[in-house]
Amino acid sequence: MRKEYEMVIGLEVHVELATKTKIFCGCSTAFGGEPNTHTCPVCTGMPGSLPVLNKQVVEYAMAVGLAAGCSITRYCKFDRKNYFYPDNPQNYQISQLYLPICRDGKVEIETSSGKKTVGIHEIHMEEDAGKLIHDEWEDCSFVDYNRSGVPLIEIVSEPDMRSAEEVIAYLEKLRMMIQYLGASDCKLNEGSMRADVNLSVREAGTEQMGTRTEMKNLNSFKAITRAIEAEKNRQIDLLEEGKEVIQETRRWDDVKEYSYAMRSKEDAQDYRYFPEPDLVPVEISDEWIARIKAAQPELQPEKMERYQREYGLPQYDAEIITASKHLADIFEETAELCKKPKKVSNWLMGETMRLMKEKEMDAEELRFSPRHLAELIALTEDGSLSNTVAKEVFEKIFEEDIEPGSYVKEHGLNVVNDEGELRNAAAQVIKSNPKSVSDYRNGKEKAIGFLVGQTMKAMKGKANPGMVNKILKELLSQT
Amino acid sequence: MREMRQLTAVQLGKKIKEREISVSEAVQAALLQIENVEKHVGSYVSIEEEAALEQARKIQQRIDKGELTGILAGVPMAVKDNMCTAGIRTTCSSKILENFIPTYTAEAVRNLENAGAVILGKTNMDEFAMGSTTETSAWGATRNPWNLEHVPGGSSGGSCAAVAAEECFYALGSDTGGSIRQPSAFCGVTGLKPTYGTVSRYGLIAYGSSLDQIGPVAKDVTDCAAILEEITSYDKKDSTSLKRKDRDFMSALKDDVKGMRIGIPKDYLGDGLEEEVKTAVLAAAKTLEEKGAEVEMFDLALVEYAIPAYYVIACAEASSNLARFDGVKYGYRAGEYEGLHDMYKKSRSQGFGPEVKRRIMLGSFVLSSGYYDAYYLKALRTKALIKQEFDKAFARYDVILGPAAPTTAPKIGSSLKEPLKMYLGDIYTVAVNLAGLPGITLPCGLDSKGLPIGLQLIGDCFQEKKIIQTAYAFEQTRERRSPYEERV
Amino acid sequence: MRESEKKQRQGQNIISDETMEYVEILAKLELSSEEKEHAKKDMEEMLDYIDKLNELDTSGIEPMSHVFPVNNVFREDVVTNENDRENMLKNAPNVSGDSYQVPKTVG
Repeated sequence: MRKEYEMVIGLEVHVELATKTKIFCGCSTAFGGEPNTHTCPVCTGMPGSLPVLNKQVVEYAMAVGLAAGCSITRYCKFDRKNYFYPDNPQNYQISQLYLPICRDGKVEIETSSGKKTVGIHEIHMEEDAGKLIHDEWEDCSFVDYNRSGVPLIEIVSEPDMRSAEEVIAYLEKLRMMIQYLGASDCKLNEGSMRADVNLSVREAGTEQMGTRTEMKNLNSFKAITRAIEAEKNRQIDLLEEGKEVIQETRRWDDVKEYSYAMRSKEDAQDYRYFPEPDLVPVEISDEWIARIKAAQPELQPEKMERYQREYGLPQYDAEIITASKHLADIFEETAELCKKPKKVSNWLMGETMRLMKEKEMDAEELRFSPRHLAELIALTEDGSLSNTVAKEVFEKIFEEDIEPGSYVKEHGLNVVNDEGELRNAAAQVIKSNPKSVSDYRNGKEKAIGFLVGQTMKAMKGKANPGMVNKILKELLSQT
Repeated sequence: MREMRQLTAVQLGKKIKEREISVSEAVQAALLQIENVEKHVGSYVSIEEEAALEQARKIQQRIDKGELTGILAGVPMAVKDNMCTAGIRTTCSSKILENFIPTYTAEAVRNLENAGAVILGKTNMDEFAMGSTTETSAWGATRNPWNLEHVPGGSSGGSCAAVAAEECFYALGSDTGGSIRQPSAFCGVTGLKPTYGTVSRYGLIAYGSSLDQIGPVAKDVTDCAAILEEITSYDKKDSTSLKRKDRDFMSALKDDVKGMRIGIPKDYLGDGLEEEVKTAVLAAAKTLEEKGAEVEMFDLALVEYAIPAYYVIACAEASSNLARFDGVKYGYRAGEYEGLHDMYKKSRSQGFGPEVKRRIMLGSFVLSSGYYDAYYLKALRTKALIKQEFDKAFARYDVILGPAAPTTAPKIGSSLKEPLKMYLGDIYTVAVNLAGLPGITLPCGLDSKGLPIGLQLIGDCFQEKKIIQTAYAFEQTRERRSPYEERV
Repeated sequence: MRESEKKQRQGQNIISDETMEYVEILAKLELSSEEKEHAKKDMEEMLDYIDKLNELDTSGIEPMSHVFPVNNVFREDVVTNENDRENMLKNAPNVSGDSYQVPKTVG
């Protein structure tokens, strides 16, 4: 019989900071430029070029560290990490080994098994690498240094997690916190948030740590979950067969749902760190920390509380909406435009959530503009759009961010307020549904609902249900 | 009458200013001398004849319009080939950068261009500034103008030989462990290594980043002070650049050493120092004493530890600084290779010369897992102790006086066979780089072979003026000499 | 860790062939066997010489990486560079389209 095993997981999370320029030069960090258009002598490692530190990088790193309860290293330095790879133009990466900017923090997470604290070992600043594109036909790769030198923070957790669920909860918490701070957009699919998973297994109840592996190339929460399960099983299988787990870096292939070792004789993994002589140390004063603290934007717990207080949202709704900074931004902007926060919340909690689920989307991927949702709400409020039609229109807004006013006009979706037309339709419904008519007349008041529905259907939803109701009642009372 | 090429930079600058000599005439005089002696001396890696003549016309116009009024406006000069010059090939005397044409200019060179300098060309050096003889250049050795069978010293041997051979009016060199001061001594010229951070390192192709500093190589102390005024600048592109307020180095050109406290480290006069060098250096000290300086011997501890500490730090930094030469972004790529790592190895092995490879190997080793503490941190701690020793010394003395090198210039081909012995020749220069101090060397005599002997003066950090003043006062007691005509 | 650790034999450093190979991997250099023998001898000599530092008591001394106590040199977060791709690619030995070309890196 198999023994019981438990996983021990620690995470190294890389987050690209939302600065305008790179960490050591004045090149833009904008995503998606033509290859090598955001480069200069510094970020392509030209001889004689020198790095100069972007102050905003230090401030974002401090903000994240403070929000994660870290202590800030008052005197921190940069070190060089030496290794050869073409995406790394100097063949060393400027990073922090000996004196990282933040240490000893913690993040509270909540999973189905309750609340838990995950420790943050350290946060350090470093530069991102360029991008390699592999030629499909020729035996070569192409290097684009646009990402080279984009600022990163690496958040190293303690090995405190025991399941994939905890890992995802931790990542979601980190992402929410960093997005609220405005320090990064944390998009896993664009690589602005990346997680490497350090995982080992051990017999349940033992204290001794097993040998760990490091898993790279995890581009979504789903891939992370799958990779964790696969690596856990691989390690347990090895141990059950009496073999050893080798300490190594593995690369996850999410299509094949399989990982392979990235070992090579040429990768000695001996990084020869030493203090970066081209940069001077960073000294952080109490005043500077106080300034960063004072400038900290509203984080999720405060926002959730304010939504209940200011907008009267139920706690549940406030929690769901604030779980994503992006969604909360949509909410606030829309509410500001239409002055109907509860309606906005209804649209977000109802239709938006339904469509997101249907399309397997993340709140971060929402692309509709608050202005269009506000307009839609106005159209329903003044009675010119029925609820049914409004939902149809919203779907269009959700998918293509259409401008609802003109869309409704173009497609003739306005509520028909022409009483003559409504009367004709109602009279037709009364004629074709004698059973319901007699039920109503015999005191079954609910039967009117069916007749209203039929009339609305005949009007293709473009009628004001209140008005239909009124006309039906009037016609039915006329014998 | 003196020939134009024999003028110092400041003398020439005055004559250009007074319209006695045109910029083009000055450039032509230098080019003529290059034509005459370059085939023997080999100071230059590249000579920019056309560009220099074109630049001369432009600068003359700006002088005529009154836009350029500086003391060095229009003076033709040369740049060591490890400083990037936009549009001019910059090779570090290495095959790996054979075809590298930078698109940017080193800040120090730009400052001189702004002051009206005309660049004649780029000077030869030990490959990546690693060496003390200018023999490790991929383009062949430079020869000492005083005796062509001898080396000019290094690594700024091309710059120093070019100034001595009157192939330019002054030059820029760089000094990581003595690379300005030692060849200046060997070539009988005056070279100054400023306090670390005084001259921007932007555009200087790094050897040991924490030690490298650009400085002037010139015919006399006055020129050095004038050039230093121009190249001193606070540069936002270099994080280690310092804001210097006291940039008026020429104000220290005073023939007065009364009360100047000068210390001579006993350890600078010990084993290995050639008798003739010792005699000349002590005679110089005597001269200064006679002029009113207070000279005494003292114990500067830790002298013998500077070289090992220096080689650990410089090689470690170099192993990382030179990692970027990999055949991807610029420079040499091997013709045939199998896969990425083979491309790296072949390009680098074919592109770098033996001395560079030796230092990269040593540097990689001392940083590698298990050795970092024993070698690298130990060297950084030694550096801290050496700095403390200098601090103690400068509490008592204004200037430290000693030789620049234990010998005069050795014969070509005699040094590279025994690298360790060559490294030991840096004994009087490397500690200055470790402690970030300024140092100047100037001629103080010739040995029996007719080779120049250099006197080194070391100042506390930011005290360039004290060494300039002392050097200037000493210089007033001697006549300037040239290899072509013993007395100028 | 590595097998070929530095061994002390009568104060002499002995560098093994494995160490030389390992350092070649780190430094991305490939020495001919003759060069390697030379380099090995030079390195041993240099290390013997560097071991002189062990005579010094440096306990309690902070390693000095920067000689002057200058701190906090920053840039403001303002874009100053424009597209300069042509210049950046100018010196590349092997360019393909708008990118630097290298032998295939394994994904």
